[in-house]
Amino acid sequence: MSRLTTLAEALADHPGLESSRLKQDRLELAAVPGAVSVLVELLTHEYGFEFATLLAEDLDCGFTLHYFFFHPADHVLVSIGTSASGELPTISDRIYAADLYEREAEDLFGLHFSGHPFLGDFVLHDDVWPEAVAPMCRRYAATTPSASAERASTWHPRRQLTESGSVVFPVGPVWGDYLEAGLYVLEGPGEQIRLAHTRLFYKYRAVEKIAEGLPVPAVLLLAERFSGNAAVAHALALCQAAERISHTVVPERARRLRVVLAELERMRYHMAVMAELAGSTGLAVGKAMGQELEEALLRLAARVGGHRYLFGLIAPGGLARDLDAGALATLGAELPLIVTRIRRYRRLLEASSSFLDRIEEVGALDAALTARYATVGPVGRASGRSLDLRCALPYAGYACLPPTVAVESEGDGYARMRVFFHEIEDSGALIGAALDALPSGAAATGWEPCEGSALGWAEAPSGAFFDWLRLDADGRVQRWSAGTPGYRNWHAFHRAVEGATFQDFPIIMASFGLSVAENDR
Amino acid sequence: MANWVAHSLIDGIRSESGLDAEHLPAGATPGRPVSQPLAAQAAARMAAICPGGAIAARGDAVGVDFVHCVHCQRCRRPDGDLAWREDAQWGAWRDAASNPLPHRFRHSVNVRYLDAGACGACMGEVRLIDAPPYNLHRYGIFVTATPRDADVLLVAGPVTEAMRLPLRKTYEAMPEPKRVVAMGVCAINGGVFGRSFASIGGAGDVVPVDLVIAGCPPPPLAIAHGLLLAAGQLQPGRGSDALEP
Amino acid sequence: MTWFATAFAALAASIVAAWISPARARSWAGGCAFFAASGLVFVAGVEAISTGGATFSLGPLSLLEPIGFVLNPLRGLFLIVTAVVFLAATPLLVRDAAQYPRHRAALFLTLVAILYAGMLAFFTAADIVSFVFFWEISALAIWGLVTFHSREARPVAAGYLTLMLSEAGTLAGMAGLFILASHAHSTALSSIAAAGNQLPAGALWIAFLLTFFGFGVKAGIVPVNAWLPEAHGSAPRSVSPILSGATLNLGVFALFVIDGPIAIHHPQMALLVLFVGAVTALTGIVYALTERDLKRLLAQSSIENLGIVVAALGAGFAFVSLGHPVLGAMALVAGLYHMLNHSAYKTLLFVGAAGIDQATGTHDLDRLGGLMRRMPVFATAFLIGALAIAALPPFNGFVSEWLLFESLLRVVEIASQPVRAVFALSGAMLALTVGLAMTCFVMLAGSALLGRPRSEVVAAAAPAPVSATIPMWGLVVVCFGLGVLATAVIPLLGGLVRPLAGANPTAALVPAFFGTPHGLPAGLTTTLSGIGAEVGRGVLPLRSLVVVHSGGAATPVVFAMSTALAFAVIALLLLSTWGATRLLRRRRTRRVGVWDAGLPCLQPQMGYTATAFSAPVRVLFESLLRPVVQERQHSQGGFLLGLERETRVVHLVDRLFLNPVAYAVKAIGRSLAWLHQGAVTLYATWVLATLFAALMAMKFSL
Repeated sequence: MSRLTTLAEALADHPGLESSRLKQDRLELAAVPGAVSVLVELLTHEYGFEFATLLAEDLDCGFTLHYFFFHPADHVLVSIGTSASGELPTISDRIYAADLYEREAEDLFGLHFSGHPFLGDFVLHDDVWPEAVAPMCRRYAATTPSASAERASTWHPRRQLTESGSVVFPVGPVWGDYLEAGLYVLEGPGEQIRLAHTRLFYKYRAVEKIAEGLPVPAVLLLAERFSGNAAVAHALALCQAAERISHTVVPERARRLRVVLAELERMRYHMAVMAELAGSTGLAVGKAMGQELEEALLRLAARVGGHRYLFGLIAPGGLARDLDAGALATLGAELPLIVTRIRRYRRLLEASSSFLDRIEEVGALDAALTARYATVGPVGRASGRSLDLRCALPYAGYACLPPTVAVESEGDGYARMRVFFHEIEDSGALIGAALDALPSGAAATGWEPCEGSALGWAEAPSGAFFDWLRLDADGRVQRWSAGTPGYRNWHAFHRAVEGATFQDFPIIMASFGLSVAENDR
Repeated sequence: MANWVAHSLIDGIRSESGLDAEHLPAGATPGRPVSQPLAAQAAARMAAICPGGAIAARGDAVGVDFVHCVHCQRCRRPDGDLAWREDAQWGAWRDAASNPLPHRFRHSVNVRYLDAGACGACMGEVRLIDAPPYNLHRYGIFVTATPRDADVLLVAGPVTEAMRLPLRKTYEAMPEPKRVVAMGVCAINGGVFGRSFASIGGAGDVVPVDLVIAGCPPPPLAIAHGLLLAAGQLQPGRGSDALEP
Repeated sequence: MTWFATAFAALAASIVAAWISPARARSWAGGCAFFAASGLVFVAGVEAISTGGATFSLGPLSLLEPIGFVLNPLRGLFLIVTAVVFLAATPLLVRDAAQYPRHRAALFLTLVAILYAGMLAFFTAADIVSFVFFWEISALAIWGLVTFHSREARPVAAGYLTLMLSEAGTLAGMAGLFILASHAHSTALSSIAAAGNQLPAGALWIAFLLTFFGFGVKAGIVPVNAWLPEAHGSAPRSVSPILSGATLNLGVFALFVIDGPIAIHHPQMALLVLFVGAVTALTGIVYALTERDLKRLLAQSSIENLGIVVAALGAGFAFVSLGHPVLGAMALVAGLYHMLNHSAYKTLLFVGAAGIDQATGTHDLDRLGGLMRRMPVFATAFLIGALAIAALPPFNGFVSEWLLFESLLRVVEIASQPVRAVFALSGAMLALTVGLAMTCFVMLAGSALLGRPRSEVVAAAAPAPVSATIPMWGLVVVCFGLGVLATAVIPLLGGLVRPLAGANPTAALVPAFFGTPHGLPAGLTTTLSGIGAEVGRGVLPLRSLVVVHSGGAATPVVFAMSTALAFAVIALLLLSTWGATRLLRRRRTRRVGVWDAGLPCLQPQMGYTATAFSAPVRVLFESLLRPVVQERQHSQGGFLLGLERETRVVHLVDRLFLNPVAYAVKAIGRSLAWLHQGAVTLYATWVLATLFAALMAMKFSL
């Protein structure tokens, strides 16, 4: 608390600051657009705050931008709101991690950030949508068709490299056996990749727009399904935002069970990444063994929660239904066996020199790049950023069940692999601890929607996930923003590819373990 | 040096012996709601809570149109009133005119999987069809990276506007004869995403869909069922007993 | 003889015609004269080979003694090659001349005619005066032609570099010739060569090195080949085929007639020739792989090919000097054969490059592409040229390289370990060269002909010029003929090298060993003929190439190769495949676009470039190439907008040889500059001091 108080006092007569409201665990600031970049710099560089997310809203009074920051040590939030009716100064030149957030706001709201060189052709591809479309504006109806086929021939990839004989390799959007749609433009004179450029949002389904006007349970379906392999984390972030609006206190049993479900999901997600990593290096047996373990975790999830991807379990106020004792006993009995097999799997992988040769020192993100892009999740932790929302801003049952955060410093494929395996084991331990001390009682409490807005968050398997939710008086969603970890990790991904050879590209991609669906929404 | 061979031998054969409905391992499928008799009041309640509109109350019974089910589990016992059937025969021909690939493709089918906006769940499940438990290779079904070699186009996702052209191009690049399989509710009718400025709401508007595999997501067994139907190795409506040697 | 003299008349007529005929007819008149001259020279060459030649002299023109000319079979061969190259280049010369304004066109044709005449006279020169005089005439004409097309900095610099190296070479070569001539007391080439062996070793070595590297400038040997890519790259497109196909042979000729007779008595000199040739070949092909300019790439490849020729000649000299005349003759045949082949396919490729330049306006490989579809007839000929130079059967490059390697392997018959070491090292370098040459020409054919156009200008290319296509197909016939008729060519070449080597290898290479077995057991010949290996006679009208390794009477090693048979097999395979597909195909063809992974459209910059293709080779040879990289990032705030990267490769020879020399000259010049800053009296003092020093030196030396 003291940090927020001192901060509020220090900023009290800061020029451009319009208002400052100190709440229990957060400080809400309002500022004129011109003052934002100075405030942002002050927060991050002087007071040690981390940039969380940035989002725009189209309110009745015009566009508003919200900048969120949190302090990892003190578990507190700071938000800055500013009216975005005119020209906005970019903050990306100071907080480079905000780059993609600003690009999104430009594309979807038609806002303009002065000083940002790469606006346009981000969420809405220039070859599909006309320039003037701003679908997240209130007056734009989600069903208005606005894509046009004629624009396809006008597209050409942005070239960044000027070198004689250099080639543009387009990888995607339809590529690989089972890889997600996305375009990776690799540039280089031959097999060496000098510069790369990731073009995502081939899978843009506009869930945030579809959600407008829907009640929270309907939005929950979207939250689970826009990136189904992290459904629990996404549902959790949304429900926690809804619960914060209504000041709902979730019963302890539900908090613990949420931890169980989220960690089970993390284990399965990470296991799938490890299997893919083994497959990307051509280690077919390793991939098969990894997939078998992934399948074992999926089946366990189905036996515990009825659904292999744990859809339909998280609900505002707790869980949609309590997990029966038999299922939990199965989980408690079988999970340690699977963890043992995973340990053996890791030993086998780490003893395969042909495998290690292809991930060691490959796709490294050094400390400087990591700090610049502020990567999150396992990718960030493998490069020395110890940030984990389960510790930085504890939610659900994590205050009593703190995870041990694995931090590696090399930032290469092998460091990421070690982080993934550590987290799998740690999740297994957390589930065990949560099940051991599982209180009885209700698994949900009544939740009634009410007007208001709040930020919810969860440490999704791929990294920190921030949900911003604004409900109107009828309890319908006015604005839902899913701030994905992809905006950090995909943003940095191409830097890990640069300098690698073409053959390493799929391996680096697999070692990041990112989800396009989670990013594209 | 890791001895993968020794460990694989210790593990033994991990493939399920067949796609038999009676001996499904626990958790291999989440199950699904099926049409069943139900008291009128409960049936109406179930129809009301179904977000996809898959459940229709018909007097003293409910009718389930599975291609609209998004697996929210709200109708499932004990919270709901419906009993779910734990099966995985979820593949179905789109209409009577659809038929499997010609006989000579029966044991050699190449599948091009296309992500047209799929969430990670469909992606995760489809990746597992090659995994040891399911091992679709043994039926002669292979996944290929290029549409030039492909006989079956397996589409997942509601088909986003940005993927409309790639989907059409992929279909056009495939040689005849070819079949299109839409997997997952999204690819059939858009699922929770429906139709919007960004989502076309199913692959059927872009390419002619022959076969659908409903589910959100369909488990690997269901995908295998659909692909075996497309290959002509299974007859619709029957279990693995119809699987030809 | 009259044929030959008439050819000079035709060339003189072409010069006259170029200056006096009306604008429209000018280039055609010149062209007709070139055609006539080439025809006459060709006939003269054939006559020389068939009749043994003649000597003649131009008495009245001489000052000291009659300037002699000789036309013997070897010189006849060089004349034939020159004639064929000029014949193939003439249509392009005509076309190029037509695009210049009046006087420049006339000047252009005149320079070409002078070059042609100079070369013809050089190849028949019998004494050192005419030898050096016509060498100089050719060199000056080359300089004129290299700088003819453009007044830009690069061609002009290329011209000066050419002139400078060429003059330095002439001076060195001349000095060497004088040393030799002073001992022979004669200026006749035949006698100075013979007299060389009476020289003291030191003087002989000096004379040898001076002539080898001096005249080697024209043959492009390391380290005096820096001019070659520059000159070939800058010369007008119609002149490049001549520069590469014909003028490089000047150096080979000089090596053969001046250094050959010396080296066949001194193994160390012969091994030096072999080693320098191998190094030249390897550096040539490595630098060829770094080029992306079509003409410069071909020029670097010429260095490679001439390196192979020089290495083969060196191997031949070495074998002869070590007492193996048959093996020596075999290697010499390989060398001359390779020279013939190089003239054929390199002229083909340079004519092709000129055609590509004319049709597309560029010879940047990274911008070309897709020509096979746009101009199939032209591109097929170009592709065959690439196949031939990559030494693939049934074309000619294969024969000479196979012969060379077979003869190099026979070094096992020489006991001396150092000799074996030099052979092994050179052989390894040459083998690497041949492998890299394959890579290089896959890259060339792939990036120029296949794929999609890599730039808009190429996508909108004009049709291929007939003036290139017809000569190219003519040369395709030559390449093919030299490839499949090897057993007819080898006896011919064998006769030519006999005077030098003292043996004719024909019997060893194309043996009639059924009649006169080379110590082969009788049972073997019976066995061989029993399995139908009657040296090809029973299968085709031509004999196979056979190399007999005498591994011992009991276990002779026989290597047999028939390019004619290989061609027959390839043709049969292709025909049967084609026929089978025709028979089996019953489906309808459906044409769809290139699979583009769902992109809106593929774009020119997405094609794999020549630079990209050769990147692994550049990485492999990085320590040799030592690329200098300059990188510049463009950024705005924290955003990276773009990266500019330039990689410059300074040629090994420039780096290690020319640049230090240039630097030393400059440094000496600078350090002597203080001499210029002084009063008149000081200058007078210097003059006096110099005079005094000179007088003292004379006094003590006498």
